[in-house]
Amino acid sequence: MAASWRIVDDLDVVQTGAERMATDLALLADVARGGRPALRFYTWDPPALSLGRFQPADDVDEDACRARGVDVVRRPTGGRALLHGGDLTYAVAVPRPKGEAGSVAALYNTLAEGLITGLRTLGVCAQVAHHAGETSAACFASLRGSDLRVNDRKLVGSAQVHKEHAVLQHGSVLRTRLAFDECDLLRFDEEARRREARARLRASTITLEELGVDVDVSALAMALTRGFATSLDLDLQWSERSRAFVAARQARQ
Amino acid sequence: MDFPSDLRYLPTHEWARVEGDRVTVGISDFAQDALGDIVYVELPALGRSVAANEVFCEVESTKSVSDIYAPVAGEIIEVNTELSDSPQKINDAPYGDGWICVIRAADLGEAQALLDADGYRKVVEEA
Repeated sequence: MAASWRIVDDLDVVQTGAERMATDLALLADVARGGRPALRFYTWDPPALSLGRFQPADDVDEDACRARGVDVVRRPTGGRALLHGGDLTYAVAVPRPKGEAGSVAALYNTLAEGLITGLRTLGVCAQVAHHAGETSAACFASLRGSDLRVNDRKLVGSAQVHKEHAVLQHGSVLRTRLAFDECDLLRFDEEARRREARARLRASTITLEELGVDVDVSALAMALTRGFATSLDLDLQWSERSRAFVAARQARQ
Repeated sequence: MDFPSDLRYLPTHEWARVEGDRVTVGISDFAQDALGDIVYVELPALGRSVAANEVFCEVESTKSVSDIYAPVAGEIIEVNTELSDSPQKINDAPYGDGWICVIRAADLGEAQALLDADGYRKVVEEA
């Protein structure tokens, strides 16, 4: 029988970075209490730099963030700093499957199938990245099994938090680059190191725009939703608020 | 998968070695395998009081953060500070050098009520 997931379309919802993270955690808490699994989408305006749960705060150059109008937020999930603004963020909250299927790697692989299936409908052939890259303060500068790559360059970066018997996985699909990147917002001992990090970041990442895929966030979210529905055999339940947003966006297009 | 018979377990995959009122705590072989390579352990503070089933520690592996639960109530009287520099000890020896802390149990009855090895094995294998 198809699993029933609710879709939370927050593409048009204005929130601070902290509110976005609080909403993801609220979905996780609800699923932990027995609520239905959820798939949520949102974007970031103004841009925000999110830090991993345990990443040192002094990695961040707060003055540089302020000067560029970038919000700084702490994620509940692991990993390193990630600049949001040119991406679409998805969040999935599900009960943790028992046994091996509930392992960190198995969950990444299961949800990757949804992302890969959705991206394929846009003509993008993404794969799970199975090798660990060099550790960097910037999330997208290293490739791990939690990420999806195209031609060995990261297109989607994801992270998880496990609480009680539920899991939140959220991640960023790179759509386009902003005029600045993580390396402009993090501290480096020397400018040469910043240049090296930026070169590594540019070489190890790719955006939908660079792949020649012209898609707005709404269509991208819809493609990923269908990808999850197909690969995980889901019965999707749209919230009334989400229905209204989808209708409003379709009317504008 | 290793399930030492001299330990007690929580269904959330923590183990407890009970010696008098000292309860040494760690995570099981199954748990470390499910987490993957552990890169960071947020250790509990020495002297902290914990309740049974309270989150007292968090670990990060493969960009994933997981809660660790206290098997018994009591005071944390020892912490394995070597995990700060070498969190992979949990992967290498979950029942040995990868121990997390020692709790002085407030109620030993709680420890006796934990799962034995066979009970925990069933939790893992029933999936």
